[in-house]
Amino acid sequence: MAAATERKPALGKLESLGAKMVGEVERGDSPTFDTALRSKSNILYDEAIGCLRLGPNTESRTFVNVAQAKKFMQTVAVASRCKKFLEEDAHASIRGLFYQLKYSLGEEFDEELFSEQEESNPLIEDLEVALKLKREDLNLNTDRKGVVAGSMVLMDKFGGEKTEIDCAKQGRSGWMVPSDVDNGMDFVSVDADWVLVVEKDALWQRLNEDKFWKKENCILVTPKGQASRGCRRLIRKLANRKLPVIVFTDNDAWGWYIYWAIKTGSINLAYLANDIATPEARFIGMTMQDLKDYDFLNKLTIKAKDVDVKRAEEMLAYPWIARHKEWVVELKAVIKSRRKIEQDALQGQRLSFVGEYLREKMGKKKFLP
Amino acid sequence: MADASGSFREHSIAEFFKKNRQMLGFSGKVRSLTTLVHEFVTNSLDACEEAGILPDILVQIEQHPDGHVVLTIEDNGPGLPKKLVAKALGQMLAGTKFHRFMQQRGQQGIGASGAVMYSQITTGKPVYFKTGLGDGKAYEGELSIDFKANKPIVANDRDVEENYRGLKVVAIFGDVKYDRSEYSPFEYVKRTALANPHAQIRFIEPTGERVLFPRASELVPGRPAEIQPHPLGITVHDLLEYAGATQEKKLSVFLVNAFSRFSQGKAAEVKSEYAKIVKERDSEALETDAEDAAERVMGLAPRALKWEEAERLVESFKRLKWVAPETDALRPIGPEQVEKALKNIFNPEFTSVTERRPKVFRGGIPFMVEAAIAYGGNSGCRKADGGTSGVIMRFANRVPLLFDAGGCAITSAVKGMDWKRYDIRDFDNEPVSVFVNLVSVHVPYTGAGKQAISDEEEVVEEVRLAVMDAARRMQLFLHGRLRERNREVKKKAILRYIPQFAQDLVSLSGKGNAKKLQERLTSIVESKYSQLTLGEAEEEADASANCAPEKPGGKAGKAENGNGEDEEE
Repeated sequence: MAAATERKPALGKLESLGAKMVGEVERGDSPTFDTALRSKSNILYDEAIGCLRLGPNTESRTFVNVAQAKKFMQTVAVASRCKKFLEEDAHASIRGLFYQLKYSLGEEFDEELFSEQEESNPLIEDLEVALKLKREDLNLNTDRKGVVAGSMVLMDKFGGEKTEIDCAKQGRSGWMVPSDVDNGMDFVSVDADWVLVVEKDALWQRLNEDKFWKKENCILVTPKGQASRGCRRLIRKLANRKLPVIVFTDNDAWGWYIYWAIKTGSINLAYLANDIATPEARFIGMTMQDLKDYDFLNKLTIKAKDVDVKRAEEMLAYPWIARHKEWVVELKAVIKSRRKIEQDALQGQRLSFVGEYLREKMGKKKFLP
Repeated sequence: MADASGSFREHSIAEFFKKNRQMLGFSGKVRSLTTLVHEFVTNSLDACEEAGILPDILVQIEQHPDGHVVLTIEDNGPGLPKKLVAKALGQMLAGTKFHRFMQQRGQQGIGASGAVMYSQITTGKPVYFKTGLGDGKAYEGELSIDFKANKPIVANDRDVEENYRGLKVVAIFGDVKYDRSEYSPFEYVKRTALANPHAQIRFIEPTGERVLFPRASELVPGRPAEIQPHPLGITVHDLLEYAGATQEKKLSVFLVNAFSRFSQGKAAEVKSEYAKIVKERDSEALETDAEDAAERVMGLAPRALKWEEAERLVESFKRLKWVAPETDALRPIGPEQVEKALKNIFNPEFTSVTERRPKVFRGGIPFMVEAAIAYGGNSGCRKADGGTSGVIMRFANRVPLLFDAGGCAITSAVKGMDWKRYDIRDFDNEPVSVFVNLVSVHVPYTGAGKQAISDEEEVVEEVRLAVMDAARRMQLFLHGRLRERNREVKKKAILRYIPQFAQDLVSLSGKGNAKKLQERLTSIVESKYSQLTLGEAEEEADASANCAPEKPGGKAGKAENGNGEDEEE
């Protein structure tokens, strides 16, 4: 339980990066910056951990190289600015950071330090990888997304104040997951037994109204679509507390991909590896098998779009998915039938059927890996 | 020319001239003036050359208020003997020989007499002359032409006690105009100086502005000799024509005497080759028949030669190996001279000169091509928008060809090159001057205007190869310069980031001094890019990095010409 005044580890990492470069310059060498290569070729699936992570390839950049000089200067500018944020205990969005660094390099040059946010974004990732920390550790906010309800109490130290948050007492709206659930955010108590991740907010609201999380003693989370970094990190942290994580999405490639991003991490965020992936997560539905088990659903399927089919084909090509034959069957069924079924369809007969469906499948342990 | 001289006798020369002024180079006011300058300057250069004198020529153009232009040309040549003055300046086609295999400048226009005539027609005024042999006596007077008799008339002439050597001509013309365009006398004189580095030319414009084209070389070119046609490249038609004109009684003797490199031994080889051809073409012919046929042809009276026989002879010439045509008749400027001249006139950053070996085209006419490229400095041509355009400077036997560029084989050969391959991205927007001199005893002009070279396959090919060779060396230079420039650009690109970088580095590390870091970084960058200048680049190294621009010059050009392309000798 770190005090707010305690020196953050990210500060030390930034300083030693700077000190290393200063040392190189003083020795008469071109300053260098080493980071893992984030290209697709260097992303691999780590079977032992069960997540996507970066491979062993690294790249070394040097300032005295015309192709790298600007990027190098920009990287140091980003690092220096983040250090300032940390020192001032202020947070900024990555767009805010970009605007802080969008200024001219001097009157005689027709050039800005940064002109487009596309330039600064990848440099943030470079720093995350090189310093082995997350952007949230650098006081950079990401978009908040995701809502939580359940028996869990947190302590939020923010802006010099401490606020206790009881996720069981958030009424109809739930507690919104912040971008950073690590720094200045601690669990006070977690009394729930498991975690249910529901793709759609509508279903979350349904289950909240039905008091599902109270009855089943779970933490009800909706990422509202693809899970944000903060949301994934929260799920990971709950899994660290040995809470089983069950994921509930639409029966289509998009929904399934949400599950896989939570479980193994995504290609874009492979550099965060097991900090953000939850390989223990299990999938409860919807599945093509549900159409056989619940006859009424057959009338409620909708046509799969081309993107759904394409996504399904891509997923079949990912070795970490294709090694599960249950998933191959599901994906092939979607490609073949070109039909899909949404979570919302479970409310077709009775609104409260969603809870029954989940209970039944939980009871029979009908999960996909 | 044969037709032209024929008609002189029957018609008034003035009338003929008026009708044919275009053909004689008097079309357009600017072009007419350039042609007039050409006539006199060419005569001066030829005269000096013949006498072994380094030419010093004055060209002055004055504008009269009435629109007439006064042209003064003065040289330091041998001068004209009193009794020859009138004939040399006032008689049409005096001394011109038809079918003379000799390299001459004065193949264009109609000589000084044409200029005298032009003055007379446009202003009615005679031409003033003054000449002396440097023997203490000079001779001056006024010259006009009696058109009907095609005879010069000298008036107001007198002897002057003066040690004067050379020739001075002052003529007044109407229907001409002076400007400084690419067709102007100025450009003509400039290019003449370029092709005649041994000449010094002073040029005084109507504004009074004086331009000196200084002498770049002290070497007076030797006088070219007359030569015979070479057996290679001769056409059936040419052979029949020569055979019809000869005085020889026997074909084998005619061949040996009329052709270059044609020995008795060669005549024997031709005879047996001829027999082979007869045999090849008529499978039923007996060997002895074929030999008889060859024997018979070689013994024919040349005049009796038939087309079919001539065709077999030409074919047999082509199958045999010949010593290359003698080059004595060809007087190239020479690579060293060309280079000196280019440097003298353009002060370029780079020059590259190529001299090709002599070849023959149609009719066994020897020719050779000299090409050069000047880049940077005053090369190219200033455009109205302030930019510089590439220029093709065409010459035939050192005489600048200013007109009819579009119809000229030299233009199409040079324009047809893929200049991008030679790092000239846009020929029309680069400071580059391409120099091509076609040297031959008989320049294949497209028309009587004699300002464009016709599309002779061999000539076009030689021009192409010569310019390409010069361009290759220029490309190496440009490439090197480009790399040098890139290096400078790269260095600057990095240097500009240093202040920001140093500042951020200090705040990131929490130590160091921004100013010191800045100095340190600057010296790191400087030392890296100065090392690169020595050619020790690692990442910058590319395939052509080891091809440093070599010294331009004829030696390299000749050596390169030795491989591959000149197989036929």
